[in-house]
Amino acid sequence: MERIIIDGLSFSLPLFIMAIGGIYSEKSGITNLALEGLQGVGAFTGALAAVLAASAFSGSSQVPYYLAMVFAILGGTAYSLLHALLCIRFKANQTISGVVINILAMALTAFLTKFLNRTVFGAASDKFVLGVSAKLTIPGLSRIPVLGAVFKDIYPFELIIVAAAIIAWYVMSKTRYGMNLRACGDNPHAVDAAGVDVAKVRLIAVMVSGGLSGLAGISFAYSISANFSSSIYVGYGYLAIAALIFGNWTILPTLGSCLLFGFARSGGYYLVQKLKMPSSYSDLVMTLPYVVTLLLLIFFSKYNRAPRALGEIYDKGKR
Amino acid sequence: MENSRKTIKRGVVRLLGNERYQAVTIPMFAIFLSLLAGAVLILFQGKNPLIAYQNLLQGSGLLPKASYAGYKNILTDFASFMNAWTPMLFASLAVAVALRAGLFNIGVSGQMLTAGFIATLTIGYSSLSAPLAKPLVLAVGIFTGAMVGGLIGWLKYQFNINEVVSSIMINYIAQYVISFFINTYYVNPVSRQSNAVSKAARLSMMDTPVGNLKIDIPLCIILAILTAFLVKFLLDRTTFGYELKCVGTSRNAARYAGINVGKNIVMAMIFSGALAGLAGVTYYLGYFGSIQPKVLPSAGFDAIAVSLLANSNPIGIIFSSFLITVISKGSTYMNSASGLESEIASVITGVILLFAACGAFIQYKVKSFQDELKEEKRKASEKNQNPEERGNG
Repeated sequence: MERIIIDGLSFSLPLFIMAIGGIYSEKSGITNLALEGLQGVGAFTGALAAVLAASAFSGSSQVPYYLAMVFAILGGTAYSLLHALLCIRFKANQTISGVVINILAMALTAFLTKFLNRTVFGAASDKFVLGVSAKLTIPGLSRIPVLGAVFKDIYPFELIIVAAAIIAWYVMSKTRYGMNLRACGDNPHAVDAAGVDVAKVRLIAVMVSGGLSGLAGISFAYSISANFSSSIYVGYGYLAIAALIFGNWTILPTLGSCLLFGFARSGGYYLVQKLKMPSSYSDLVMTLPYVVTLLLLIFFSKYNRAPRALGEIYDKGKR
Repeated sequence: MENSRKTIKRGVVRLLGNERYQAVTIPMFAIFLSLLAGAVLILFQGKNPLIAYQNLLQGSGLLPKASYAGYKNILTDFASFMNAWTPMLFASLAVAVALRAGLFNIGVSGQMLTAGFIATLTIGYSSLSAPLAKPLVLAVGIFTGAMVGGLIGWLKYQFNINEVVSSIMINYIAQYVISFFINTYYVNPVSRQSNAVSKAARLSMMDTPVGNLKIDIPLCIILAILTAFLVKFLLDRTTFGYELKCVGTSRNAARYAGINVGKNIVMAMIFSGALAGLAGVTYYLGYFGSIQPKVLPSAGFDAIAVSLLANSNPIGIIFSSFLITVISKGSTYMNSASGLESEIASVITGVILLFAACGAFIQYKVKSFQDELKEEKRKASEKNQNPEERGNG
């Protein structure tokens, strides 16, 4: 039971922060299927920073870890500018742009990882080895029966994510910028008439989604895969999109759906181990989050209200 | 400064301005820019980009290599290239049909994998004779692909589920479930892939001796090219194609005109899935003879680039799929000949995609350059005609 909660949380929280990024972008009216690529590029830049910094610090130092977080956010933000450029300036189809960005991210990071490994580190390898991040347990709280597991064996990135999520929620629902952002997704013409630059609001929203996705990407790299390689592209970005659709583009319900995905996954693994099934059965468990997503979408898509101007190119002259 | 900008504008307009040829010139421009970007990347690594691109052509059997192994020459390389081209052509047509109906079928990979797997199980492992097995493989592929594609269309029509999200979910489910079955029941312990299919069911005649060569003869490439023309005919000359394109252009207008939008969405996805199924069987039972577990075919994603590049025109796709296959197929030889990472090929494909996605913007930009130039010309001629009027005013 404890393991299910611990593993479930360490998977749900990165998913959640990525979904919040998606909500920012989509609430501002930009369809963002690029989350998958953004988290991959974020994980790549973060991992690169960590590997480069690792030689400068001692083995047990935590500096490379936090450096990786910072650079992952920067990398994700920088790469998201491409999506913003295509969608806002070049008025490309936003769905196509998102998918194109994902494909390019996969190709580019796979190429650069191999290239940098060969030239900078002198090794023929297609991954940056990171190891699993250190864990911490909060004394006292972790002794509560069952629920105490929430405070046990937490990865430091989980705390960063919770903090970032609270800030993101506050900005979205309590500030002027958040209000403009939500209005941009429903009626950009009204926002424009009020004297606010629609393109700028959307640009910032896409950059936020890039930064948060980058944070999610490096978190996955430090927990599930313990390295950066092309194995980071297994559809977490699309899971996050499903989570936010299921959460009806609002932050708190989205947390619920992310937790559901996380516990479906960790619960399945637990079952495979408990019943002593051969390891190939873990392939079936891997499908659980996807199957759950599809089923949930079947039941809830009808009641969904997407932002009204979602996916529409903003054209000043149009009424 | 002003003058050089004018020259650039004039050059762009002269190059891309003719609207009749824009369907060809703009993709050519996108390809040119991407190859240029790729060349910079290659130069950056201290290699000669021209030699690298020459290697791509050599690896695809379009230029002779310096030396060949026994029983091989440029012809065998080209035959092997056509084996890789066939599924790419089918997959790109699948993406194009969906795009024409306003749907984005990113699930082509999953549909290919499912069709290939089902055809392998039912026909590939049977002891049917060749004349019976080969058509049956195609039929099973079409049927399975159509079912998976239709499911995605139905989910969209019935439950309003975004087809991109549902097809990605189905991609992953197919990938893991099929990997489970292969690893549990059909794995070849040496190659770690599924057991090879029977020779009778194979859609390519591998290592067939012709003269002093051993050629992998692709049986379906003619079918693939014919299919491109058939799709063109269906889209442009039939009621089905007309309704499909109407739904793709404007769903509301189509509904207003009395076209059943839901039915057309499902039909478009069935059609697209069937083509993806053909891609799957020509990939897994033609080009390869087995299935690698846990890997989705990259052809399904490259097909998006191909289709965008050709603006979803089935005839254009014949050419653009040829080009993208040259890049992906030739990259292995480029890797061994110039020591460049073969991943650079997928980077070039990705950049082509990027520029292709901006096609509408390039078109718009060319048009505005044209208008500006016209305006300037008009002003200049006015100036010449009425010099004294200007002096008085």
